[in-house]
Amino acid sequence: MQLTIDKRSVVARKGEYLLEVAQRNGIEIPALCHHPAVEPWGGCRLCMVEITHPDWKGWTGLVTACLYPVQDGLIVSTDTKKVHQVRAGVLDLLLARCPGSSLIQNLARQYGIEETSFTPRKAPDLCILCGLCIRICEKIGASAISSIGRGVEKLVSVPYETVATAACVGCLSCANICPTGAIAFSESEHCRTIWSRNFELVRCEECKAVIGTPEQLEHFARRSGLDRSYFTKCDSCRNREAAARFVRVTF
Amino acid sequence: MKQLFVTPNRCTACRNCEVACSFVHTSDPTVLAFPRVRAYAISENTNTVNLCLQCDDAACKKSCPVEALVWNAKTGALEVDLGRCIRCLMCTIACPFGNIHFDKRTNEIAKCDLCQGDPACAKFCPTLALEYAEKPSPDPKPGEVKPLPPIPWMLFTGKQSR
Repeated sequence: MQLTIDKRSVVARKGEYLLEVAQRNGIEIPALCHHPAVEPWGGCRLCMVEITHPDWKGWTGLVTACLYPVQDGLIVSTDTKKVHQVRAGVLDLLLARCPGSSLIQNLARQYGIEETSFTPRKAPDLCILCGLCIRICEKIGASAISSIGRGVEKLVSVPYETVATAACVGCLSCANICPTGAIAFSESEHCRTIWSRNFELVRCEECKAVIGTPEQLEHFARRSGLDRSYFTKCDSCRNREAAARFVRVTF
Repeated sequence: MKQLFVTPNRCTACRNCEVACSFVHTSDPTVLAFPRVRAYAISENTNTVNLCLQCDDAACKKSCPVEALVWNAKTGALEVDLGRCIRCLMCTIACPFGNIHFDKRTNEIAKCDLCQGDPACAKFCPTLALEYAEKPSPDPKPGEVKPLPPIPWMLFTGKQSR
C-alpha cells in the first residue's frame, strides 16, 4: 500500500507500523522506548506524528508512530507545529524527571527547552521508565525485572527491590539496552554485580577473557538447544583452534 | 552461485585479508573494525585463514534471542541486523568455530557478510588462497609460472600501484 510521509510517497506492507516505515525510508522520528527487537510499546510518546486521510474530511489526529498501523492513502506529517508542541511537552516532563541525563538534555534542546518548566524530581536517577529493559529481559526469557509501584513512585527493579532472584542470569542486556544508561553494574576480576547480586564469571580456558556468568551460559544453552560444552572458550581462542583443525583436515 | 574458497596450501599468512576486511567494514576511518577473517601461521609450513562458514544450521542464529541474524538470499550470507541486535553476545559464545566476534571499538557484532557479494579479502589475497568464484582455480603445475591477479591497491591508497 501507498502512504505519504512528509510529502514523500512511500510503500508499506500490511501490518507494519508508521515508525518502521519512516525509519526504512530515512525519515527521522525521535523515539526512546522503541527497539526493533521487541514489540512496540508506546511508552515515551516522543514519536508522536500528525495524521490525516483524504476521506477524513479535514480531520487530523495525533498518534504514536510506533504503534499506529499503516493504512492506504494515509498522510503523515512528522514536523508540524502541533507535533513540535506535543514532543516539547513530553521532553519538558522527562527533563523534570531526569535532569541529569545528557540524552534528554540534548533532545530537549532540539525542541527549544533549556530548563524544565516543572519542579525537578528530588534525588533524580536516570530512568525514564521506557520499559526497554523489562521487555528485553522478558524477550531473553528471564523476566527478572519489572516495574514496581504506581504513579510518582513507579520504578524498575527486581522483586521487593532487594537482590535479584534466581531468574536473573546476569547477562547485562538490560544495562546495555538502556537509552539513558540508568542501570548500574560493575565487573571485577572474579565477580560481576548487577541488581545488587554478585555473579561468578566464566573465563576462557586459554586466554582468561570474560565469557559470561555460569547462569547466563546455562540459560542460553538451554534456550538455543546448543551443548553446554560450546561455552568454554572465547571466540578468538576457538577461532585459532578451528583454524588448526581445518588445516589438519585439508592437508 | 559464487562461493568463497579457501586453499590453505597457498596461504602465506600475510594477513592482507585481515587488513582489507577491517578497512571495508569500518564506517569511521580513524577506527579499524575487527577483522571478520583471521590468518594463522599454524606451524612452519602450514598457514591458513579462518572465516565464517555461513552454516545452514548456524549455532549463532539458533542462540540469538531476537532473530537478529538473517539470511541474505542474494549472497547466501548470514548477516547481522545491527538495528535488531541487543549485544547480548550469545552468538560470539555459541559459534563452534569462533567466527563471530564482538567489536568493542565500534560496539558492533563482527561477522562475515561476504561484503554484499564482493568480498574484499579475496580481492586482496596475493596468492589465491582466498577466491570468490564458482570453483577454485587449479594449482599451477611444477615449473609453471602463473601471473597473479592484480590487487586493487587504489582502493586504499588512491594510487594504481604500491
